[in-house]
Amino acid sequence: MPAQTKSELLRGTLDMLVLKIVALGPNHGYAIAQRLRQISKEFFTVHQGSLYPALHRLEDRGWLSAKWRDTDTGREAKFYDLTSKGRKHLEIEILDWEQLSNAVALILKAAE
Amino acid sequence: MSWLRRLFHKSHSESQLDKELRFHLEQQIADYIAAGTSPEEARRRAQQEFGGIERVKEEVRDTRWETHLEILFRDFRYALRNLRKDRRFSFIAILALVLGIGASTVVFSVVYSIFFHALPYKDFNRSVVIGTNDLSSVGGGKVRLDFSPEEVRAFREQNHVFEDLIAYARMRPTYDDGKSIRFFSFGAVVTPNTFDYLGVPPLLGRAISQEDGRPGAPPVFVMNYRLWEREFGGDPNILGTVFVLNGKPTTLVGIMPLQFNAFGANFWLPAAANYSWLQLMGRLKPGVSVQTSAADLDAIAHRMHKPNPAGVFPEEEFAIAPQTLLDSLIGNFRKTLYILFAAVLLLLLIACSNVANLLLARATAREREIAVRATLGATRGRLIRQLLVESFLLAAAATGAGCVFGYFGLKVVVALVPAGTLPEETVIRMSAPVLFLSLGLTILTTIFCGLAPSLHIVRGDLQPRLTGSGKGAGESFRHSKLRGGLVISEVALSIVLLIGAGLLMRSFLILTRVDLGFDPKNVLYFVLNLPPSYNTNIPGTLQRKNALTLRLLERMRALPGVTSVAELAADPPPLQYQSTDTIIPGKPHTQPWETHFEMCSDGYFQTLGLPLLHGRLLSEDDVSAARDVMVVNETFSRQYFPNEDPIGHKVKLDIFDKPYFAAAAPHDTYFEIVGIVRDSKTRDYDNPSWQSFPQAFVPYSVAGFNWRVFMARTSVDPSSLLKNMGQEVRALDPGVQISTSGTLEGSLQEFYRGPQFELVVLGAFSFIGLALVIIGIFSVMAYTVSLQTHEIGVRMALGAQQTNILRLVLLNGFRLVTAGIVIGVCAGFGLTRFLASQISGVSTTDPWTFGAVITVVVLVGLAACLLPARRAARVDPLIALRYE
Repeated sequence: MPAQTKSELLRGTLDMLVLKIVALGPNHGYAIAQRLRQISKEFFTVHQGSLYPALHRLEDRGWLSAKWRDTDTGREAKFYDLTSKGRKHLEIEILDWEQLSNAVALILKAAE
Repeated sequence: MSWLRRLFHKSHSESQLDKELRFHLEQQIADYIAAGTSPEEARRRAQQEFGGIERVKEEVRDTRWETHLEILFRDFRYALRNLRKDRRFSFIAILALVLGIGASTVVFSVVYSIFFHALPYKDFNRSVVIGTNDLSSVGGGKVRLDFSPEEVRAFREQNHVFEDLIAYARMRPTYDDGKSIRFFSFGAVVTPNTFDYLGVPPLLGRAISQEDGRPGAPPVFVMNYRLWEREFGGDPNILGTVFVLNGKPTTLVGIMPLQFNAFGANFWLPAAANYSWLQLMGRLKPGVSVQTSAADLDAIAHRMHKPNPAGVFPEEEFAIAPQTLLDSLIGNFRKTLYILFAAVLLLLLIACSNVANLLLARATAREREIAVRATLGATRGRLIRQLLVESFLLAAAATGAGCVFGYFGLKVVVALVPAGTLPEETVIRMSAPVLFLSLGLTILTTIFCGLAPSLHIVRGDLQPRLTGSGKGAGESFRHSKLRGGLVISEVALSIVLLIGAGLLMRSFLILTRVDLGFDPKNVLYFVLNLPPSYNTNIPGTLQRKNALTLRLLERMRALPGVTSVAELAADPPPLQYQSTDTIIPGKPHTQPWETHFEMCSDGYFQTLGLPLLHGRLLSEDDVSAARDVMVVNETFSRQYFPNEDPIGHKVKLDIFDKPYFAAAAPHDTYFEIVGIVRDSKTRDYDNPSWQSFPQAFVPYSVAGFNWRVFMARTSVDPSSLLKNMGQEVRALDPGVQISTSGTLEGSLQEFYRGPQFELVVLGAFSFIGLALVIIGIFSVMAYTVSLQTHEIGVRMALGAQQTNILRLVLLNGFRLVTAGIVIGVCAGFGLTRFLASQISGVSTTDPWTFGAVITVVVLVGLAACLLPARRAARVDPLIALRYE
């Protein structure tokens, strides 16, 4: 499974991706995992053993806030939302990432 | 603070996590069903993908740091349980640490309080007092501490080393309270900058300032707290009251706080510009050493000396010797402190070796347990943390108990410090830096001692320890060597301690048992304080003084209970330090012949119990007629008249010709020797040992400069007669007072208190050290025996007798003790010379002391080995082998 190994490689960026997904609108863990998969066109499959520790870690750091709410189907679930602190952090992360990927792209092009 | 909430509502947060994960799982199942999978299949797939809900939970928990806190709590609980289970080990380890830490806390507190906070004055560590060391003559004071106004001015104006210089003199004025004139308490005149210099703000009112030194400034004074409380009941309204001191109305302007007793005075007056003799104290500029200041001041004094041969610095040969204020106040006690410091370090080392030994033995015994835990999945970090927590618990318990022990120990030690060795201002107490030091020491000790062996185990290969069969198979050779080494060093350290204490004890016994040559029992003495009307520069003083003395002696003799009375000039025996060069016609000498001399009444010899050997004693007529006759002692006769009968020879005491005795001494007078008495021992202020000096006794009536000291031998308790003596003195002259008084036995006891203090403290330390050594040897031997049970069983099964086993174990233990003794004795030979200044009458390598110490340690070592050895001998081979 190539996607699995790649997601392992990208483990450091999982926090950023989760924040970005949550920034699109408050959501619960399952939905976050689903959207991550859908948006990346099945590229990332995040395992629960990585997702939930990440969510709790981000909550601990105050980047996410959590609230128990009813879903559309009327079931109670834990919804995560981005805090203003989390939004700032996400912006920085994205900026860093863009700089990094630009730099990598430049090097790869030069090498051609 | 969500973590805090979670910590206290653990079940709540756990159920929430469970709920969240279950929701995820059910959502997945629902999605699969919606996609057309059968419910059974959907549940199976979802669960497989999820991969164990408990594992996910565990990983989520790991992201929270309160989990780590919880593990730490668990470690603490586990460590506590472990320590409780092994009670003997915990008790002994904590006891050893407590003794070591308690004792060092006590000594650190004493040293810290004295060296850094002895005095409440500003930068007191830079203050020096100045003395002139007279290098040429014997006799008089050898160090002159007071200076004439010209000398003071020279130092003040020409020095390059002082930031500021103050001058002061102790004095005792008369006080006219309107009804009668009496002596006031002891006070001091000080230069007006003194209070700025000392930098202690007054409790009430104001201190003396520069303004008070101006000519024509109204006379004022400042009082200390003690006098204010004692004489005036601490009444704050007393400020502004006018006291008539030495006939001059003087206003009280301030009260100093309790801890302020500068110059041993109870009150302070500004000194007049030309006050005659003042002592000097200066604050060195930062970075200037005492030696540098000595050179600078010496140069000034010698420059002044040459153009003025008669006036300033009258000594023929001299050196200016500044001394730090602290040294001038505590003197030899500094050496005592160094010795205590060294002793407590030794003790601490013994305690640490002991604890290291115990922890090492324990760590070895736990190798298997640790190996099992590691195999069951404990990470290395977790194991180290576990062991650290255990060490920390030991350290914490020991620090707590050690501080309590130190607190009470300090009270005992402070009570033991001889009166007068420390300045009144010094308060010895525990302080934060000392407590931190002790805390640091404990933690370092336990971590070094506890962690090092544990680390060794954790790092090593676990496999052989798990599979190793039988007891002791896992024990590494290195450990047993290390333990042996620790026991050896413990024994060696305690030998050094014991030798030190033993030498002090021998010296003390010799000091107190020595035949002084006089009988100190039942002798009362008191010193008279004569009013200014007896000053030697008033004509006729000599006659009036002699008349007073004669009449007082008569009245004293008439008191019931008094068997004999005497007058003398200097301190009562055994202190005697009035000495002089001795001039005998026909016997020239280049080095001064130092003779201690006494100006006394005819009852002196009888009162002290000095037997006459030859010739005659001073008679009543000799004294009343002030005849130029002299009694000498054996040493005098032997040194200055070897193989000759000194009786009939004439001797001059050089000191009587010194200019400073002016009118009050017999000039160029030769005394005829009339008798020889037995030697009596005296000692100096600085030298603890007894010596027989050449002594000479002349009638007191020949000179008038001396103070008057009176002694009475009694048939009843001497101190009970003091009141009667006081009445007799007042009846003769109401202006005369008794200033100090005591018994000869009492002053001897005072002399002994210095060495006694060292002896008691060092003795206590070596006793503790010895106890720790017993514990150390015992625990190591007991442990070794328990490891060797199997081996012993085999030996016995093969026919070894109980005595063989006993001998085997004893020899094993004894090898360690012997090695320790050899090293300790060698170290003792090297180290005891640092004790040389504190002991007398015994060599620093006294074979008796060394022998006794070795015997004690051998016996103690044997005793500590005996119990484990007997246990080994009682091993039942059947039981020992069945454990295979």
